[in-house]
Amino acid sequence: MAIGVKVLDRPVAQTSYIRATLKGMALTAKHLLSPQKVTTQYPEQKKPLSPRWRGTHRMLTTEDGKAKCVACGLCPSICPANCIKLVPGEDEQGNRYPLVFEIDEFRCIFCGYCQEVCPEEAIHLGRHYENSEYSRQGFVYDLERLMAQTHPVCELWDPADPKGE
Amino acid sequence: MADPKMINLTIEGRAVSVPAGTSILEAAKTAGVLIPHYCYHPGLPVAGVCRMCLVEVEKAPKLAPSCATAVADGQVVHVHSPKALEARKGVLEMLLINHPLDCPICDQAGECELQDYTYQEGRAEGRLREGKRFNPVEDFGGDVMYVANRCILCTRCVRFMDDVAQDAALNVSERGDRALIGKFEGKDLTHPWAGNVIDLCPVGALLSKDSLNKVRAWEVDRTASVCPGCSQGCNMIVETRDNLVVRLRPRANEEVNHFFMCDQGRLDYRWMNRQDRVEYPMVRRGDALAVTEWEGAVAEAAALLKGKRAFVLASPGLPNEALFLLSRLVKKTGGAGAFRVRQGDEAPLPGVNDLARRADLAPNGRGAELFGLARANAPLAGLQAGDVLVVADEELAGLDAPDVARAGAIVVIGTTLPAWARHAATVVLPITNVVEEEGTFTNLRGRVQRFRQARSGPGFSRPSWAVAADLLAALGESANYLLASEVFDALAAAHSEFAGMSYEALGLKGALVAGAGTGAVA
Repeated sequence: MAIGVKVLDRPVAQTSYIRATLKGMALTAKHLLSPQKVTTQYPEQKKPLSPRWRGTHRMLTTEDGKAKCVACGLCPSICPANCIKLVPGEDEQGNRYPLVFEIDEFRCIFCGYCQEVCPEEAIHLGRHYENSEYSRQGFVYDLERLMAQTHPVCELWDPADPKGE
Repeated sequence: MADPKMINLTIEGRAVSVPAGTSILEAAKTAGVLIPHYCYHPGLPVAGVCRMCLVEVEKAPKLAPSCATAVADGQVVHVHSPKALEARKGVLEMLLINHPLDCPICDQAGECELQDYTYQEGRAEGRLREGKRFNPVEDFGGDVMYVANRCILCTRCVRFMDDVAQDAALNVSERGDRALIGKFEGKDLTHPWAGNVIDLCPVGALLSKDSLNKVRAWEVDRTASVCPGCSQGCNMIVETRDNLVVRLRPRANEEVNHFFMCDQGRLDYRWMNRQDRVEYPMVRRGDALAVTEWEGAVAEAAALLKGKRAFVLASPGLPNEALFLLSRLVKKTGGAGAFRVRQGDEAPLPGVNDLARRADLAPNGRGAELFGLARANAPLAGLQAGDVLVVADEELAGLDAPDVARAGAIVVIGTTLPAWARHAATVVLPITNVVEEEGTFTNLRGRVQRFRQARSGPGFSRPSWAVAADLLAALGESANYLLASEVFDALAAAHSEFAGMSYEALGLKGALVAGAGTGAVA
């Protein structure tokens, strides 16, 4: 048995596509005459990052080029992703410093706790997002590499609005 | 002695009843209130120099140092009243005047009483604008290093050396704000018990050179154990990180070691982490030992023992449980068992009654004797030709070769595979060491004390009691034990000295074997 389909009898003005097509073409012509640019011409052009942007890490250094880190062990303790490996030791002057300091940027969840907990303001997250490597091992940053980074560092809170209000 | 008079008082609104002569600080501990303190330590004479334990006592004209004030009937003590808190905050501010606040690089961070109390009751910010005093780090000899800047001059270390070790080596040098802990001319912290000043120090002023910068207090797992260094059986805490033993510290037990532990016991932990361990059961195939699985190795050992006498050369470092099962193996086969004890120098701690590093450098010689193993300098004298020699965690090195040659076959139950075993052993059964299994030791005064597992054993090694039980079961004995506590229950049922004991009853402090009072080893 055939299904009874109700056919609505609509006026031509409603069913014709000509009017709608012309409307669309008019919009296209308008944009052609006064273009609105929305595409960022990356990599020639880059959008500004928030001062609180949290990207791959950077270790700050003292004036004589040594890492500020004193190997206190707070960052590996606080790290929720367990991505920081730290082995403390002593340098020639008897100062405590990290023999091994490695961050696995693949395991990192960029929460910023390490920067927040650091009593020496040594480890920072970076305002930086361009990372590429040929191997996974390349994303395990050792101390030398962390110190060699030059990108600006994250401010965990906006200086103008420290409480986030 | 008659019961001492009991005194009733109120601390922080809680009714407390303690014997006369108790200090308010100790009385508060019984009520579950910890009064902050630095110079007071239950194992040392009272000095009353730090003023940190000030509390408010009603109707007293001024705040009382609770460590040096005896309880009195009807006293009402306020520990956390505004007046007491204000006073302690002032004390903390003074203590921190010259403290460098270098917690990030200080080994004591995380277990530092200055840190704890400052977070609890101290000021959030210091008000000192002047510079801080600076003194260089000093080597105190032995394992001890002195960081003068962090010192709060509680004099616990001075009192320990004067009154407990009775080898006056430390003093308070200089006066006033220049005061620091100094050594007497020509003296060093070389006393065999001097390392205790590291634990006694409430701050990071006295540090162990051995564990310097190695480990943070919050990273370690702590396990209650018993020192295997000598027959004293000092209670200790094994601290492990990443399955490696990193530090040994004393655990308080009034009956054995009070709060102390000798340096030799404290520093002798590296062998517990040995990496050259035997990890698989092995049996002899021609000239070489071949790795096999447990069932095969145990069956092969049992086949060797069938119809033969077993001569067990056991280590006095094995737990009671393993020695008990090995003594059953001796009985089953009609054999004999012997052990020898390495000797060292006795080093007493004069300030504590009956505490010394003993000459017997093994924790369980007393236990081995209780299970009928014979103590001998030449333990293999009783080995008869054709006997199966079972070497349990012991060395054959240093024993007479002709003695060893009488053995028909050698079964090695051990943690490592020394050179002699490589060519002499017929079967090798790997066992775990003292920090990798649980069990009990019987110390020289007959105190049975439990130790617990602190790290996992390597490879396929199994606890010593489990291996001995398997061997017995393969010989047709009923020895189906799944837990060390089950072995101990069987042991308590079989030996009257241990009657009525169980793991639960032993707890953390241990219990004396029956007749220990009369049969004490001199």
